[in-house]
Amino acid sequence: MSTERKASASASASLGRSLRGATPRLTDLASTPESPRTPLARTATSFYGSPGGYRSEEEYIVLELGARFVRGGLPGDSTPRCTLSFGPEEQRRAGDYRQWDPGHSSQRRKRRRGHGWGQDHELYRLDVSQADLGLVEDKFERAMREAFNKYFVLDTKPRRVMLAIPPKMPHPLISTMLDVLFGSFQSPSVTLLSSPVVATVAAGLRSALVVDIGWAETVITAVCEYREVHERRTVRAGKLMSEEMAKVLNAALDNEADAGAPPANLSFEEADEVLTRVGWCKAKPRTTRRSTYSAARSSLIAEEFEDAAEAPEPTIAVPFPRHTPPTDVEVPFSTLAQPAESALFAPDTALCEFDDHEWPVHHAMYRALLSLPMDVRRLCMSRIVITGGGSALPGLKARILDELESLVSQKGWDPVRSYGSASARHERIMSQKRENLQLRSEEGEDKVPDSLGPDPPLPAGLQKPEEDPIDAKLSHLSLKNTPSASLIGGVIRGVDTLGAWAGASLVAQQRIKGIVEIEREKYLQHGIQGATREKEISVVPQRQSMGPAVVGRGAGDRASWTLGVWA
Amino acid sequence: MAQPFPYTYYACDCYDNNKPQTVAEAAAEEERDLDPRHPRSNYSLYPLEHLLYCEDCQQIRCSRCVTEETLNWYCPSCLFEVPSSVVKSDGNRCTRNCFNCPVCTSPMTTNSLDTSGDNAAPYTLACPYCKWSTVEIDIEFEKMNGISGQLAKIANGGRQIPTQKERDKERERRKELEARFRDRSALSPSEDSPTMDTWREDHAPSRDDLFSNLSAFYKTQIETTTASNPFSHSDINFSSPSAYSRIMNMYQSTNKRNKRDKPSPVREAASTLEGLSIHDPSTDVAAIERIKTEGWATTLSPSQRHAQTNPNIRFDTELRPLATLLCTKRSKRCRSCRHILSKPESKITSTRYKIKVLALEHIPRLSIRALPSYFTNPTQPPTPAAPHTPYNALKSGIPTHFLLHLSNPLFDPIRVTLATPSTTPGKVQSRITILCPKFEVGANTDVWDDALASSLSPIKHASQDLNQIEAGKIWDRGRNWTSVIVEVIPGFLDNVPGSGLGPGLGEKFALDEKKKKAKQEGEDTDDELDEDEDVLEIPIFVRIEFEADVNAEERSLGDSRGNKNEREKREEAFWTVVGVGRIAAV
Repeated sequence: MSTERKASASASASLGRSLRGATPRLTDLASTPESPRTPLARTATSFYGSPGGYRSEEEYIVLELGARFVRGGLPGDSTPRCTLSFGPEEQRRAGDYRQWDPGHSSQRRKRRRGHGWGQDHELYRLDVSQADLGLVEDKFERAMREAFNKYFVLDTKPRRVMLAIPPKMPHPLISTMLDVLFGSFQSPSVTLLSSPVVATVAAGLRSALVVDIGWAETVITAVCEYREVHERRTVRAGKLMSEEMAKVLNAALDNEADAGAPPANLSFEEADEVLTRVGWCKAKPRTTRRSTYSAARSSLIAEEFEDAAEAPEPTIAVPFPRHTPPTDVEVPFSTLAQPAESALFAPDTALCEFDDHEWPVHHAMYRALLSLPMDVRRLCMSRIVITGGGSALPGLKARILDELESLVSQKGWDPVRSYGSASARHERIMSQKRENLQLRSEEGEDKVPDSLGPDPPLPAGLQKPEEDPIDAKLSHLSLKNTPSASLIGGVIRGVDTLGAWAGASLVAQQRIKGIVEIEREKYLQHGIQGATREKEISVVPQRQSMGPAVVGRGAGDRASWTLGVWA
Repeated sequence: MAQPFPYTYYACDCYDNNKPQTVAEAAAEEERDLDPRHPRSNYSLYPLEHLLYCEDCQQIRCSRCVTEETLNWYCPSCLFEVPSSVVKSDGNRCTRNCFNCPVCTSPMTTNSLDTSGDNAAPYTLACPYCKWSTVEIDIEFEKMNGISGQLAKIANGGRQIPTQKERDKERERRKELEARFRDRSALSPSEDSPTMDTWREDHAPSRDDLFSNLSAFYKTQIETTTASNPFSHSDINFSSPSAYSRIMNMYQSTNKRNKRDKPSPVREAASTLEGLSIHDPSTDVAAIERIKTEGWATTLSPSQRHAQTNPNIRFDTELRPLATLLCTKRSKRCRSCRHILSKPESKITSTRYKIKVLALEHIPRLSIRALPSYFTNPTQPPTPAAPHTPYNALKSGIPTHFLLHLSNPLFDPIRVTLATPSTTPGKVQSRITILCPKFEVGANTDVWDDALASSLSPIKHASQDLNQIEAGKIWDRGRNWTSVIVEVIPGFLDNVPGSGLGPGLGEKFALDEKKKKAKQEGEDTDDELDEDEDVLEIPIFVRIEFEADVNAEERSLGDSRGNKNEREKREEAFWTVVGVGRIAAV
């Protein structure tokens, strides 16, 4: 009896998928866009019109996983309900209440022996060879327990999970997180979403160059039609910025201190707080051509910064309650922009000195764009989405876009940076081509009115292509429904996103099925090894008859699952 | 660790830590001593009061190895019970008048700004602790009640926020306007519309606006693209237009080809009304300017920001009062056998429990305290006012005695075996000896038994002659408790690993020299201690054996044999960590 029920449950669940059939992938099914239709209500009735008993399974929670924070909330919300961090205070034993001790906030924490900068605040690091996965599991489990008990306060029904994680997350880490979600929180299924893709969704786009300035790395992902097509990463990100900020502040503290005092050694917490509160990023220096992003609007103030010749240099009083003795230091406002400058753009280093993993952000973006196919590049370069924790620094986005634009205008899209000894020849060829073109066009203009004479015909490559009215009509028809704004391409343009969490929330709200959906039973049986090797699994349900035969079909259309981009 | 010394932590070897392992791994696990310094230990050590006990599994249950079920929701501030449907629709915060200060998190009060003294409108929310109030963000209320409803309608600065419905309507209106404008401009492209400009000048859309725009955009897109899929469920409903069109199609064979048309894919958002927002550097420039002029105090600390419902803010004028988070009453079940371990009474104001199975009642309590010095040093007269051993300054290298006290909550006498590594793990190695690791503890009988039987008891206690520090002998014992001596030789903080007792004097001198040199050269010496590494914590493995009545359920099975007083042998074993004190720097 129970097996029968289960079978019918899964069968109707599989049908439920076609009900929600909201994915763009369903589009190869027949449809008549012009015919009248009922809007797909959120409360669609279940199979045979009875109120569904499986509604509970449809409820999701949305999580976004980062190296230092986990965000969690419910679909349809614009902001997550909680943002949980993994600092040392969150890792204390139960019953250890020292963080409420009045003196605690004035004590500076020392970095643990053998720990890197800010390592105490990380949930995971991508290098799993030295990571203690058990500890990652402990941390994640505790954070999730807090999220469920304090912020979600849901009823007892198990919830499906939409989990946005970076692409290229190592399998052991994915497996650890899934263990927690399936084991401790009994989720019936976990859908993995790739965070650059959902960030694209949250920007309202289909294709984008997503620049995620995260903790350990900046990941640049080219997304085309909701798919990752190219990825490039660089270590110039939040961690380096806060380390630079600590250097700047240490220097400022040492300046203030009496001679002979021990050199200041700021903790990560202090440097990070200063960076997130008063850190900023200078606009691009005006030595090169002013581009749209700095010149655009209300740049009177921006000019003021750039001149930097104000008589008394503005300073910011930064308190250091954890320093001995506690002190307020006047830090020149311009130095607070230095960390972002040196960590992300490294203007003082020659390009040849960078290793492959430490390109400045704008160069890495340029290289990413360069390696894209031309039409994808056209789409991506005018849809640049800068997201991630580091991007909150005021002025940073405009600076990155500016730098990128000037790079493009300098170099064009020529992958060869230097022609070496052949550069003269290259120059010559290029100029010749240009001259030829100009000449021909001038000639052409001159010739057109009196083209009766038997002129030598233009070479085919220089002739104006014949315009086919039918082609034009077809392309016009296909674009009839698309407004011109979404056809833009070929210029550098930044688009704001609401962030990966909001994207995942949107996806869950529209009930879109992910490619990587992992069912609890199947995971518990085989673990992460149970995934099929194929990266793509069709989520389009096979056309089924609606007779009672379907009920007996059993296992549904997802006999196997895949890890998609993570495979 | 932050508990006052001395303290005891109990380790829970959690249910989900017992994953299937290879035999070798399991054996290695058995062999391994608990290391209280290991970062993972923080997640498995609990004070005894935090632990529950599953009588069926006969194991300790910590908060990780129970599953929780929410019984009811309530606001901790007004103690109002919130029904689950409201939690679902209105979220996890109190929807009445309870707010916390966004600056210091203390509960806020509603005050009247009226000076005439009759408490009339307007009202504000104010923090009685840090004096922050909604006046600072230009928000005033007209009524004393329903603050959260009023707050939802006012943005910072006093501007009205339209409701979701109004916003949706407004969006539709604008979209129509835009469409009409587009049509018109298609007819006469030279004409420029004033309507476009008027609403462009409007303030930038908030995050919420963008999100709802995006959400509405995707919804309409998906509806148009998936349209009347003839096999979709929603169309089972026969009164829907698409069902009509399908039926019509059945009789209209000419329309067949039309149905094969490929629908257009979901397109991109094209305007702000559809959720697209092109990056605009002017807000950033304004933010930079503001930081420059107003400085540190106007920005928010990370904790203040993360507590906000919209954490993407930067300045103190963007703060909103925080509606109090709801609390829940939860029952806890053992994860492996699903038995209920604790269940509170459902009444909000009651703090009592219907079911509560505590580890306190099933696990012997270990406690440690310093042995007063006059026991070890008989020449010194016992003065009641003598300062007891300062736990916060243990002396390196000097043997110190501690009294380990074990009390038994069970109604059966237990046999206890204690084990501890001879030196504590970690950088500072102290030597530990438990003088009497095997002993018995009496049953937790009626208190009066003790008093009545004391004259007949074979054990004489409280007479000082018997209390001798001697290996193999217990120190003292009572009705349901026994205490033994632990000898501790605290290690040196600047220790050479392995020697256990620290370097000799000469070596030490050399070490100091080396350290000085390294410091002068500005090297990062690895000699510095981490936080709490000077705390002396002793891991002790406790194993208890006792004979208990067979469980009621099992006994009913054995009833056929008619043996009612059957007793079974049981044993339990667990790790504990005893925090003795802090070693003083020499």
